[in-house]
Amino acid sequence: MTTTTRTALVTGGAGGIGRGIGARLARDGFRVLLADRDATAVREAAEAVGAEPWVLDVADPDSRREAVTRTGGCDLLVNCAGVLRDARVRRLEPPVFRRLTEINLLGPIALARLVAPDMAARGAGAIVNIASRAWLGTFGSTAYSTAKGGLVGATRSLALELGRHGITVNAVAPGFVETPMTEGLPPEVRRRTLEAIPVGRAGRPDDVADAVSYLAGAGYVTGQVLVVCGGRSIGAPYATPVEEAS
Amino acid sequence: MSTPVVEVAVRGEGSVLSAVRAALSTVRPAAPAAVVVPAVPGPGPLAELGDDRLDALVGDTLDAVLADVRATLGQPLDRLVFVLPHAPLMGVADGVAASAVAHGVLSMARTLAIELARDGVTVNVVAADVDAPAPGALAAQLGALLGAGGEAITGQEIYLTAGTDLGRARP
Ligand SMILES: NC(=O)c1ccc[n+]([C@@H]2O[C@H](COP(=O)([O-])OP(=O)(O)OC[C@H]3O[C@@H](n4cnc5c(N)ncnc54)[C@H](O)[C@@H]3O)[C@@H](O)[C@H]2O)c1
Repeated sequence: MTTTTRTALVTGGAGGIGRGIGARLARDGFRVLLADRDATAVREAAEAVGAEPWVLDVADPDSRREAVTRTGGCDLLVNCAGVLRDARVRRLEPPVFRRLTEINLLGPIALARLVAPDMAARGAGAIVNIASRAWLGTFGSTAYSTAKGGLVGATRSLALELGRHGITVNAVAPGFVETPMTEGLPPEVRRRTLEAIPVGRAGRPDDVADAVSYLAGAGYVTGQVLVVCGGRSIGAPYATPVEEAS
Repeated sequence: MSTPVVEVAVRGEGSVLSAVRAALSTVRPAAPAAVVVPAVPGPGPLAELGDDRLDALVGDTLDAVLADVRATLGQPLDRLVFVLPHAPLMGVADGVAASAVAHGVLSMARTLAIELARDGVTVNVVAADVDAPAPGALAAQLGALLGAGGEAITGQEIYLTAGTDLGRARP
């Protein structure tokens, strides 16, 4: 039986941005598998956005395979699971660095490897990696920016490798988005961050979801980084870093 | 008064290491300096990048780069340069592990340039095509970054490719 409904696997689906992406893709007509390691939160999020919940730890090989099997054929992979726990390089503990690499970089590449053969067999597919504006460098963020930079590099190389199979691979690099990930920012850092955003407001999960929705259907765009940051990346430099607390 | 000879600490085992060592033999650093040459993995298709291989080629390699950086920061340091092969930075098919590492290091360097500015440490990246027809380029560039005047150059990414990458979007 052939089906015309496309299936999207969205990792980190219980988080602020992942949930927004799931909602948007469901509205776009995708069957959405919303996957997250937080079982309770992902059930709740999936119900709210009309998606199917799935418990996935992107750092666990078996869990990754189970999630991809569950899709029954994935048309769109959105690598959105991510963690931000970091420190200035002099205070950064190697195990923290490794953990961020595993979740923010190795997990997404491994998932791309698992979905690619089936996409290639159908001659179509899209992979969207949620990177971060931090790939351009951010104070106090050695591990996070390394992993997100690595994800941008992987995006570029995968686009070159998979293009001939009809698979596009792109990255979205959000700037500051109001989500559980950023709610713990010290008030002074938040104030300065907001001040540096040319459009004058924080990003919303929908801003990122719009970009993902576009890239999901843009068959002639590949290997690109779409920076969704309200202009922050072309704005003020890091002249006076304030993230002393890290 | 004679100027003391400043040693350049070289760390890492990347493929461009011998070219870096040869280049450094002609460089006279003006300040304590280190050059990190990450061991960027070779090419290989995605299909062959199984979980263990991915962990080793990308995870272990980036861990090693961090260890090298931490070691350099344990010594007096004013200039830090990463030398990477240019191909995985520009992107190559069948090179996901290499590009992940090379771009990871690129972003690490961008962040370190921001973080270490207050300590007076410059951090730059040289992307070298060691097969390009420009034998003296690496030495000349390292000389500029490590020598007198280099203290004002930080956070830069310099492609020494003799034009082999022209017309392509830079990372
Ligand atoms: N919020 C921002 O300002 C911002 C900026 C740039 C990039 N990003 C990126 O956007 C993505 C989503 O971030 P967010 O702001 O929604 O954060 P969030 O913390 O709200 O959501 C992240 C989600 O990922 C899940 N997760 C973490 N580790 C996981 C694992 N091993 N396996 C499966 N799921 C895991 C968490 O449970 C959480 O639900 C992340 O990749 C983040 O790095 C966020």
